Amino acid sequence: MVKRVFQRPLNIIERILFIDFIKGLTVTLKQAFRRTITTHYPYEKLTPPKRFRGFLGHKVIDGREPQPAFNEWVERMKIEVRPGHSRCVVCLLCKRACPVPQLFEIEPEKLPNGKRVIGVFNMNLMLCTFCGLCVDACPVDCLFNSDIHETASYSRKDAILDLKALEEIGRDWQRRREKEEDKIWSDDEHRQRLWYENDVSIR
Amino acid sequence: MMEIAINILIILIKILVILIIALGIGAYLTLVERKVAAHIQRRPGPMVVGWHGLLQPIADGVKLITKEDLFPRYGNRFLYNLALIMALVPAVLVFAVVPFGPTIEIGGREIKPILTDVNVGILLVFGLGSLAVYAIALAGWASNSKYALIGSMRKAGIIISYEVAITFAVMGPLMLAGTLSTFEIVQAQIDQKLWYFWIQPVAFVVYMFSLLAETGRVPFDIQEAEAELVTGFTVEYGGIKFGLFPLVEWYVEVLTLSAIAVVLFFGGWSPINIPFLGFVDPLFFLGPFAPFVWFVLKVALLLLFVLWLHWTLPRYRIDQITAIAWKVMLPLALLNLVITAVIAPLIWR
Ligand code: SF4
Ligand code: SF4
Repeated sequence: MVKRVFQRPLNIIERILFIDFIKGLTVTLKQAFRRTITTHYPYEKLTPPKRFRGFLGHKVIDGREPQPAFNEWVERMKIEVRPGHSRCVVCLLCKRACPVPQLFEIEPEKLPNGKRVIGVFNMNLMLCTFCGLCVDACPVDCLFNSDIHETASYSRKDAILDLKALEEIGRDWQRRREKEEDKIWSDDEHRQRLWYENDVSIR
Repeated sequence: MMEIAINILIILIKILVILIIALGIGAYLTLVERKVAAHIQRRPGPMVVGWHGLLQPIADGVKLITKEDLFPRYGNRFLYNLALIMALVPAVLVFAVVPFGPTIEIGGREIKPILTDVNVGILLVFGLGSLAVYAIALAGWASNSKYALIGSMRKAGIIISYEVAITFAVMGPLMLAGTLSTFEIVQAQIDQKLWYFWIQPVAFVVYMFSLLAETGRVPFDIQEAEAELVTGFTVEYGGIKFGLFPLVEWYVEVLTLSAIAVVLFFGGWSPINIPFLGFVDPLFFLGPFAPFVWFVLKVALLLLFVLWLHWTLPRYRIDQITAIAWKVMLPLALLNLVITAVIAPLIWR
């Protein structure tokens, strides 16, 4: 059964004078003379909200790690803490959480003093779905989604981020946005802040 | 001998001018349309190529020309190409009977700014207009695709319905003017001091509906119906061939039919009319150019109105369209004809 939604039939005056046409036309005419709301993309770029899930990166050790989790994990995994380098404790939880675990290539590096540091951390973002599950899994707030979303490249190799690139993204992020208030919806002023500040070069 | 040569030269110049107008302006109308559409949707439209996108049509043309020319397998190549010519030629040919202004004198020679002032001008317009349906039917059929075929069948259905209505609608002004020549229709309006729009508003509404239907503009654009038919009958055309169809259908035809509407209802090149009293000309300072400016101005306004409608209204269903044509527009046009016949002697005086 098709349910008929009530609709007032047009009266004779409205029919003859095309009143509803005219109503529609006035609306479009009014809109036509208002200011446009376009962002002229390659010339102007909006800043994504902080929770935006863009390219992944590694935050570096700068004294703001989540405590006591970080110290516990460092102890458990026998990690050598090197300030200014990745926080990664090689727990592989990110790889576990990921729906496409093959995209990770994680190898620890043994130091002569018996401790370990992260040696190889490659992510093939060609396979990534940007779901953010790895970010949630990371116990030391190391892996994170940055706001970098212009990721087109000439070669597939460019989509594979190694440890250096990930740290670079992380440092850039910590410099720009770490202290920013975490809002799901960014207000207009925030959005209009244009995107020139991002100066990280991944390649 | 000299006389003939000069005449031929004049005609060649006219043809050149008209071709440049028809195709050049037609191409630039794409930009106008995109700008109008964009601003209605609060976008700026093309902005990058040239100042505010002024060179965009050229860039589009170059792009379309350099694209690969695909041809559907099992299509009919002859009809496929013929359809394009059938669409382009009649649409441009209509300009032959559009009068752009009053007779002017250059070097002691009277020149009418109209290619051929045939005494059945309006008949020619609608004859050529009916040819467009062949182009579309052929395009749909020759490209061997369901979408294209459905699109062209719909379009044929619309054109056949509205041909009748539009013919009866223009009968009113024709009856008042007492002639079929476009040049003389305008002259008659100037002599009678009356734009026929003032006493033929019904005919004008029917004419506008038919204009929208014949050119496939919203609210009658179901032969395109992007949402269901991709782009209707042009689906299998590629490159510049694809570019030409909308150019002809949406721009050149709208341009010609708007020009004819101005000739029939708004007194061609005459200035603003006060019924039965005379003409007010705020553009008098332009001297001999004023009539041409008036004509261009009126056509431009009508065209902008069509674009404005296009980007405002939703689309009718095919059954609604044909129902409007046969049940509303045709009886209205006939009624208008009867009333016109009664009052015509008053206008003739
Ligand atoms: S964002 Fe999702 S798909 Fe991408 S690496 Fe993390 S868990 Fe895997
Ligand atoms: S979950 Fe975090 S700390 Fe563990 S391996 Fe992945 S990035 Fe390193």
